[in-house]
Amino acid sequence: MDRLRNAALLTRLIEGLCRKGDWCGETHVQKTAFFVQELMGVPLGFQFILYKHGPFSFDLRDELTALRADGMLELEPRTYGAQLVPTKQCVYIQGLYPKTMAKYERSIGFVVEKLGGKRVVELERLGTAFFVSNRLEEGKPVYIRANKVTALKPHIPTEKARDAVREVDRIASAAVAQKQAAISSGEHGVVTSVRTEQQRQQ
Amino acid sequence: MPGNFHEVRDPIHVFVRLDSEERRVLDSASFQRLRHIHQLALTYLVYPGATHKRFEHSLGVMELASRVFDVITHSESISDRIRSLLEPLVSSDKLRYWRRVLRMAALCHDVGHLPFSHAAEKELLPNGWDHEKLTRQVISSNAMKSIWNSITPPLRHVDIEKLAVGPKNATDLEFTDWETILAEIIGGDAFGVDRMDYLLRDSHHTGVAYGKFEHYRLIDTLRILPQSNESERLQEPALGVDEGGIHSAEALMLARYFMYSQVYFHPVRRIYDIHLMDFLKEWLDDSVFSTDLEGHLRMTDNEVSAALREAADAEDKAGHLHARRILGREHFKRLYEWNPDDVQLNPESGRAVFRALSERYDKDQIRHDRYRQGSGAPDFPIQMRDGRIVSSLDISKTLRTLPVVSVDRVFADRSIFDNAIKWVNENRDEIIAPEREEAGNG
Repeated sequence: MDRLRNAALLTRLIEGLCRKGDWCGETHVQKTAFFVQELMGVPLGFQFILYKHGPFSFDLRDELTALRADGMLELEPRTYGAQLVPTKQCVYIQGLYPKTMAKYERSIGFVVEKLGGKRVVELERLGTAFFVSNRLEEGKPVYIRANKVTALKPHIPTEKARDAVREVDRIASAAVAQKQAAISSGEHGVVTSVRTEQQRQQ
Repeated sequence: MPGNFHEVRDPIHVFVRLDSEERRVLDSASFQRLRHIHQLALTYLVYPGATHKRFEHSLGVMELASRVFDVITHSESISDRIRSLLEPLVSSDKLRYWRRVLRMAALCHDVGHLPFSHAAEKELLPNGWDHEKLTRQVISSNAMKSIWNSITPPLRHVDIEKLAVGPKNATDLEFTDWETILAEIIGGDAFGVDRMDYLLRDSHHTGVAYGKFEHYRLIDTLRILPQSNESERLQEPALGVDEGGIHSAEALMLARYFMYSQVYFHPVRRIYDIHLMDFLKEWLDDSVFSTDLEGHLRMTDNEVSAALREAADAEDKAGHLHARRILGREHFKRLYEWNPDDVQLNPESGRAVFRALSERYDKDQIRHDRYRQGSGAPDFPIQMRDGRIVSSLDISKTLRTLPVVSVDRVFADRSIFDNAIKWVNENRDEIIAPEREEAGNG
């Protein structure tokens, strides 16, 4: 996907997060974009590794900086960090790609619905739990995945890690259900790329 | 000095001190090669003083890395919470081990650089290779492993690789929080000593004073901090500063901005880099540098410079035209540059101009240079005097409003320049208008 098309999708995600929650900083974008790409299958093309506060993409970090340089995002102060605010320029860029926006609108909306408004500390846990569930300990029981989360991020207590793994399983199941509903109703544009706990057990 | 210590004089840090094991690394073929790799590629064609090499920069990075390590691991600088999260902090043996790994990693962090440093390494190496991968290859070579294994206790080469290239460039390895922080000391976005040293050193050698900042003060105020001291906020430890270091941190970020604007992205420096890349593509076998260790060690700026001279003088030599452009100072001229009005219409306006010109003229007469700043907003924790931990972006307007470096330029051969710039100016809106996708669902 070319850069501007990607920017259109990314800024739509940020707009959604700003609307759903009371603010949206870079950490919110990093974690939710990971779900958008890896759970919903939207081809944003970022490479994620486990790094700052869970899944993190250096490419995405650079792109957010570039979007500020291009006037599509602005930084505004907050009590805890700075928030990313989309500008009018985003509306113009999104308007260039009506087909792409329509194709991925529901997938982005799903992630905004499930994760928008969550605090960064919750997103850190959920993002890490999803990274572990999807990449490192795929198909393993909850306690093994939770232990891995705590081993990788010792500041996350085991109980919170377990809750996060369970919530990620629920979100993944809902993503599959949304996809199936979309297919039944003849819609396109919802793609999931993750196997749920149920599918793993089958 | 005791017999097992060695001193190297340095224009930035006065003395850099090494022990005998570090001296063995310094004497190795892979490190000595850095004596022949210019830190700033062909920048000396614009700033004549910029003839310094990766060799002295690497020594400077080692010196600064251990200064930072000593400050942030000092017992009085560490809270109980951080101590409970980072296990090596409570073991003097482990601290000694990691300090040594850090210094070796700092010393070796650039050993994989190609001739003339960063000049277009993506296009001049086979797919999947970059200088960080070459660095890891050198660190894990038999020659280097014999040094790591001779040390008591032996150093794990994987640990040195991790800290030398960091999580971004070692995605196959898992990093603990401790290893992440140590890697940040060298290559971190906010307080990496690689950047601290190159800003100070490049500033010194180019004569561009913008790169100087109060690094002594900054290093003394660095701390390992959680992102917040409120339990329901982010707790992951990271490098931050005491409140007293805010202005030094701001000065570092400003130095970076000015050096990028004034030196690293000087348009003539950039076009020389592009001409050099064009030359190398024609001159090298299969258009790429060797990734074989022996081949890598053999190739330095000296070999490339000799080939440039030879090619510039003989029309039948590979790369003749590009070599002449460099040595004859016949570089292409800047025809188009990113500007706020055009970006409103198309953030990729330079690419659009480049495409249009490439269709109208011979492709070899047009070049495009696109660079976007490779780092995020400078967000790091700050420990306030009242004990609170806050975000740098929360309290520093300077950091929040720091401009982002973005380069989008098109260059043209002098023979078509006047004609081409006239054509672009007459057709600008049409040329830069972005393509619109057809509406439709799915």
